[in-house]
Amino acid sequence: MKMIQARNLYKSFGTHRVLDNVNFEVNIGEVVVIIGPSGSGKSTLLRCFNGLEEIDSGVITIEGESFAHKDPEKKDKISSKEKKEIAGKLGMVFQHFNLFPHKTVLENIIEAPITVSGLKKNEAISMAEALLEKVGLSDKMNSFPSKISGGQKQRVAIARALGMKPDIMLFDEPTSSLDPELVGEVQKVIIDLAREKMTMLIVTHEMRFAEEVADRIIFMDEGKIIADEKPDKIFNNPEHPRIKTFIDKITMRQSNRQE
Amino acid sequence: MENYIQYVIDSSVFILKGSVLTIQLYFVTILFSIPLGISLALMKISKFKSLRIAIGFYTWVFRGTPLLLQLFFCYYGLSIFGINLPAFTAAALTFTINYSAYLTEIYRAGIESVDKGQYEASKALNLNYFQTMKRIILPQVVRRTIPATCNEAITLVKDTALVVVIGMGDLLRSAKELFSRDFAITPFAIAAVVYLLMTSVIVYFFRKIEIKYSIYE
Repeated sequence: MKMIQARNLYKSFGTHRVLDNVNFEVNIGEVVVIIGPSGSGKSTLLRCFNGLEEIDSGVITIEGESFAHKDPEKKDKISSKEKKEIAGKLGMVFQHFNLFPHKTVLENIIEAPITVSGLKKNEAISMAEALLEKVGLSDKMNSFPSKISGGQKQRVAIARALGMKPDIMLFDEPTSSLDPELVGEVQKVIIDLAREKMTMLIVTHEMRFAEEVADRIIFMDEGKIIADEKPDKIFNNPEHPRIKTFIDKITMRQSNRQE
Repeated sequence: MENYIQYVIDSSVFILKGSVLTIQLYFVTILFSIPLGISLALMKISKFKSLRIAIGFYTWVFRGTPLLLQLFFCYYGLSIFGINLPAFTAAALTFTINYSAYLTEIYRAGIESVDKGQYEASKALNLNYFQTMKRIILPQVVRRTIPATCNEAITLVKDTALVVVIGMGDLLRSAKELFSRDFAITPFAIAAVVYLLMTSVIVYFFRKIEIKYSIYE
């Protein structure tokens, strides 16, 4: 079954077209990584899937149910309740973590399961404890976000998203705002999720990570998908010269940084 | 000397009796204007343009005219239209509306200062508008606006003295009566001490809340 299906997506900010006839799909248990130059529409595409951005036209289907359906001819027929239900199947991790600063690590995780899903407090806590163990942060349960490192914050954010039991996880540049030495701990958590066959859609600039975690890689440029291939093909034998230039440039920068 | 001490005690009792009204007015105003300010702030940033304009007009009028004038208008002015409010009601109403206008702007700025990532994270976790505001945004706003709210709370203590002009017997008026009777400066000194005591309690109270809320920083 298709987890996500995107058909003929268009979106513009003013006169700038950020999504230009985007078509792709994500299968169950698949990890798809989106790469491409800054401003190519990667993050916008991701944000359209959970309603943080609205598409101008096109169809998004999540687990077979249409989530956003915009036809210039027809009105948007999906009720906001249905939309919420579908959006509940997606968890999202942001570049800047967006933890709730006034809540402890534990409270960050149990907030939505209690408030939105109506879980009992003790059930939510034991679930949160299990998630924190999974991301290796059991000892930070009662810390406030201001007292932990960026890598730890991002791991809490992943645990928080997982707390809503999503079918799909969206990652919007999860390591871009981290110090280089903290990138690995976050990537490891994501790789673990991939091993558990979590369906994931990841926007990243980390090429080695992309190569390691992805089942498929989508290359975007100027709002268009110009390649949708296995990692091996993209990294070793790209069809499009632009992909090769981009990957050479970015991997050179990243290997310089790591040395 | 003994006579003087007795005089100070008697005067203090008289002035403190007057301050009961000051305190009542103070609490009524605070109790209504803070929730009102928060609600109006939420409306002022809502997506309904007419609501935003209406509340903009309200804060423009009430922050832009003297509180004294508003008090005159509410007590004397409205009686021309046959609306005769008791002095305390008129004062409480005027103070609440006036202070809500200031607090609306304080909370509006506070809400707008919260990072939009907080809304996005809430939305991604499927919290609805009220849950997001109540559980995520407003607690952060309260923390950030404590110093500004404290300033308003202190100003209000002193503004309550304005009720003298609509014939109400408050703390300052009691002091003034003693002054007129005895032609002595002591009553004024006592009044000053009582005001200082009240503002000190308020500052202490806000400091406590600030510490309570600052644990997460």
